[in-house]
Amino acid sequence: MAGNDLVDLKQAARDSNWQRKGYLQKICTAEEEQLILSAADPHTMLWLIWTMKEASYKVVNRLSGMRSYAPRSFVCSGLHMQGSSVRASVAFYEFSLFINAEVSTEMVHTVAVLREEELGQLQTHYLNYTPGYVSDFNQSHPGYILSKNGAGLPQVRQLPGPQILEASVSHHGRYAAIVFSAPLYAGSPQ
Amino acid sequence: MDKEEFISELKTIVTPYTQEPEALDHISEDTDFIKDLKINSANLVDVVLDVEEKFGIEIDNDAMARMLTVRAAIEIIEDKLAASGRE
Repeated sequence: MAGNDLVDLKQAARDSNWQRKGYLQKICTAEEEQLILSAADPHTMLWLIWTMKEASYKVVNRLSGMRSYAPRSFVCSGLHMQGSSVRASVAFYEFSLFINAEVSTEMVHTVAVLREEELGQLQTHYLNYTPGYVSDFNQSHPGYILSKNGAGLPQVRQLPGPQILEASVSHHGRYAAIVFSAPLYAGSPQ
Repeated sequence: MDKEEFISELKTIVTPYTQEPEALDHISEDTDFIKDLKINSANLVDVVLDVEEKFGIEIDNDAMARMLTVRAAIEIIEDKLAASGRE
């Protein structure tokens, strides 16, 4: 199971003043705050760390059903950047999550999973956000049907198979991203 | 301060952050900041900080974790005010 979170960096610059007094202390550990303030691009580093926490929360929320607002309790560590890709870990009480993020000048998109090998099985689809992005996705990706299950959580059916895959969807500003685990049986597309 | 006054203060605080301004017309104790008012989770920090400033209280991590609804926010504000002897 994967959780994702996307931030449109220009939208975030308009909507959030993270430099206001007390903001970073409410959401970050002291180590994370140091990482942000010493980064070459603190704005991008903040939203990278924020998306790690949000993507991890989505996984934990989906597993436990628990709702809470405790970004500071999702502790990021081990950031390793290679080009536009970032690997890291997040710990939340007894949960450990593996992180894979993509960073550009326009957006940060982050995926959290519970088992590291899941990172290699993920399919990520990016779209321009419109209110009709779900049908945009279904029209532009024949063979996939994105919908919501009875509990309102996103799922993808890959045709012609009966298999339903848990998906995670995030949109912000100009962009949307959909992730799901690719089925492993032979003959699957791509 | 009674419930109606708390709700009115909270309504003023959340107004700049909601993406569903029509939902403010029927804000109540049951209103959920994220589900009903569509406040971006990164802006919920601003709501917490604005509440701290407005009421002169400090909202710790455990209280913030619960602060998803108007009802929870009022309980937290009342608790913190009572703890500092300013009911």
